[in-house]
Amino acid sequence: MTDRPSRVAATEAQRDARGIAPLRPEAIAAVATFVLSVVLILASRFVSPALGSWDQAATVVVLASFLIVVAFGQGLVILIGGLDLSVASLVTLGAVLATTWIGSSNDGAIYLLPAILIVCGLIGAASGIGVTLLGVPPFIMTMATGIIVGSVALGYTSGTPRGGAPGILIALMKDDWAGVQILIVFVVLFAVLAAILQGSTSFGRKLYAIGASARAAHVAGVSVTRMTILAYAMSAVSAGLAGLMLAGYSDGATLRMGDSYLLPSIAAVVVGGSSILGGTGSFAATVGGAVLLTTLGTVIAALGIGEGWRTVIEGSIILIALLLLRESTFAGLKRLLGR
Amino acid sequence: MIHRRLKATKTVLLAAAMTAALATGASAEDKIKVYLSLSYSGNSWQSEAANVVKALAATPPYDKLVDLKEVISGTDPQAQIAAYESMIDAGAQGIISFPISATALNRTVKRGCSKGVLFFMYDATVTEPCAYNVSYITAGFGENTAQALVNALGGKGKIFLSRGVPGNSVDKRHTDGAMSIFKQYPGIQVVAEYYSYWDDRTTQTETAKALAAHPDVDGIWAQAGEYGAIQALKDKGTRLVPMTGENSNGFRLALANPDDQKAGLKGVSAGSPPATAGYAFKLMMEILTKKRDLKPMNIQYPLPWVPADQVKLCKGQKFEDGCNVFPSTVVPNSFVTEVFNPTLLPELSLQSALEGKPTPGATIQPLPADVVKAPDEPGINCSSCKAPADEYKLTKVEATVKP
Repeated sequence: MTDRPSRVAATEAQRDARGIAPLRPEAIAAVATFVLSVVLILASRFVSPALGSWDQAATVVVLASFLIVVAFGQGLVILIGGLDLSVASLVTLGAVLATTWIGSSNDGAIYLLPAILIVCGLIGAASGIGVTLLGVPPFIMTMATGIIVGSVALGYTSGTPRGGAPGILIALMKDDWAGVQILIVFVVLFAVLAAILQGSTSFGRKLYAIGASARAAHVAGVSVTRMTILAYAMSAVSAGLAGLMLAGYSDGATLRMGDSYLLPSIAAVVVGGSSILGGTGSFAATVGGAVLLTTLGTVIAALGIGEGWRTVIEGSIILIALLLLRESTFAGLKRLLGR
Repeated sequence: MIHRRLKATKTVLLAAAMTAALATGASAEDKIKVYLSLSYSGNSWQSEAANVVKALAATPPYDKLVDLKEVISGTDPQAQIAAYESMIDAGAQGIISFPISATALNRTVKRGCSKGVLFFMYDATVTEPCAYNVSYITAGFGENTAQALVNALGGKGKIFLSRGVPGNSVDKRHTDGAMSIFKQYPGIQVVAEYYSYWDDRTTQTETAKALAAHPDVDGIWAQAGEYGAIQALKDKGTRLVPMTGENSNGFRLALANPDDQKAGLKGVSAGSPPATAGYAFKLMMEILTKKRDLKPMNIQYPLPWVPADQVKLCKGQKFEDGCNVFPSTVVPNSFVTEVFNPTLLPELSLQSALEGKPTPGATIQPLPADVVKAPDEPGINCSSCKAPADEYKLTKVEATVKP
């Protein structure tokens, strides 16, 4: 009987937490980006009657898949307050190694594909070591890594990457499995696993801690150096994986393959509501950001207007989305709805 | 202001560093000093073009005559200007180059000419009259492929235009030529027009986007990157459509593939040949070795033109017996096949194109005496000039359907 008051207090505290949880800015950002994407797809019926279909949504998922994978790694690095400018070169490296080491046969794909990802991971780890142990700013370190890797790929292939994509990668990108495109299943699985890794494991939690304050994380017993190196390695592995997917998608490699994913990978993370300074954000929202950016590209491409205006519209919408998805907007919303 | 000055300082430093590097590299003083200036290297086209120049320079007797150095300066005109300046100061006798801009390099080119440097531009051109331009651009890629597509479509249908790089004079010339034909046919409807940056993968994603809005497209007019358009169609389903594109090995193989033909693919492969680089280099060497007397002029390289029924698989390492495509096991899909020319460049083989190495046993063969003068194209190969009235006349194909 005597412990009753404290139990009441406990339930009250719990209720409070539950009331706030659904309105976490990351969750809203994730939902908002997906809702915006769906609205865009449905509204695009007015642009062309063929749009607004499941077919278009499938196209968007395929085109967004590369960005989602690259943005996962980029997101981890941004989460700890860094930036990875080497992703473009690592995407290219993944694709080039897949076509030169394995080629259109499937010989040795089972162990060569993981080997490619390990090579990418080691390169990422090198960036991480430069950032942590040598104290080079992430911007410079990853730019240097990117230039070196890109140039090595150029030299290694003497400009013409040979060979086609391994059959297993083509199957991943193009085949159906019981009427469902394998790639869509793959992307969903990747997104779920990645979201769990970032949001619910001690690995992910430690990254959030480092992003919030590296010093505090260190005091709390997090090995900041090791986690930072790991984050850069993960980013490089993700970029390499996207490269493998791109090789399968276009059945071959070109040396500029990765270029169109560098800035969008950063944009997807930020549009998804993460702070560019680190410490906040969720991967679900990044996926939303990637899907939104890709949907936007698809719809705008169908508008049939000049290239200049197309880019102006795209840029403006990204800016508006960023402004709307800011934390202060959510705080305002919360004030309006919550009280 | 400060920013601009910093940038200028940077350029000067860069030029100084390059001059030093170029100067120390010159070992054989009695050899003819030639520089190969690329703006960018990183796609099959650019590296094949550079490779054949390197291969020719290493083929006897040129291997004893010429000292060739390659400089890749990036995609900024100012970087290429700095590179040219350094080459001129290092005592270049000839500069063979893929120019990044038709106008921005003119002043430097003129300064070089006044010092006796020969400038040979391949594929892309400059409007400075003291340079030699060797290019297919004036040979009518746009209008001829457009007419071929119209013929294949019977004069009506919805089409995509897969273009090159926005704002580029070559893309504009091609597209203007194509539109001069499409406009004559009210039945032809351009439902989507997008920039694919002459790149397979970009073409594939941009075509995929256009297909989402227009799955009922009847034909595609494409510049380089065309193999990506076929990939995008295949990703979407089993239906292919008539299309025209440039010279990728993948596209030519598809044109000749019975399965792809059955799915609806027909068309023609034409467009930019990396072989122009080799031709330009040999012309320059003949002038430098006093075997030819030729004043600066615009030289037209013939437009490669291979309709589906003329695609023929090569068994060996070069274009022989009229063959014009290689098995997919030998070269990647993005390989640009028109790097060979049995008449003008018999010295070259796949090894030359892919690795820049001379063909074993080959020696340099003299070029035919005559060169073809290119018509004037304002903003492309001349500045204050007028295009001929029949600028867009058809040369490779006739209209089989009336507008």
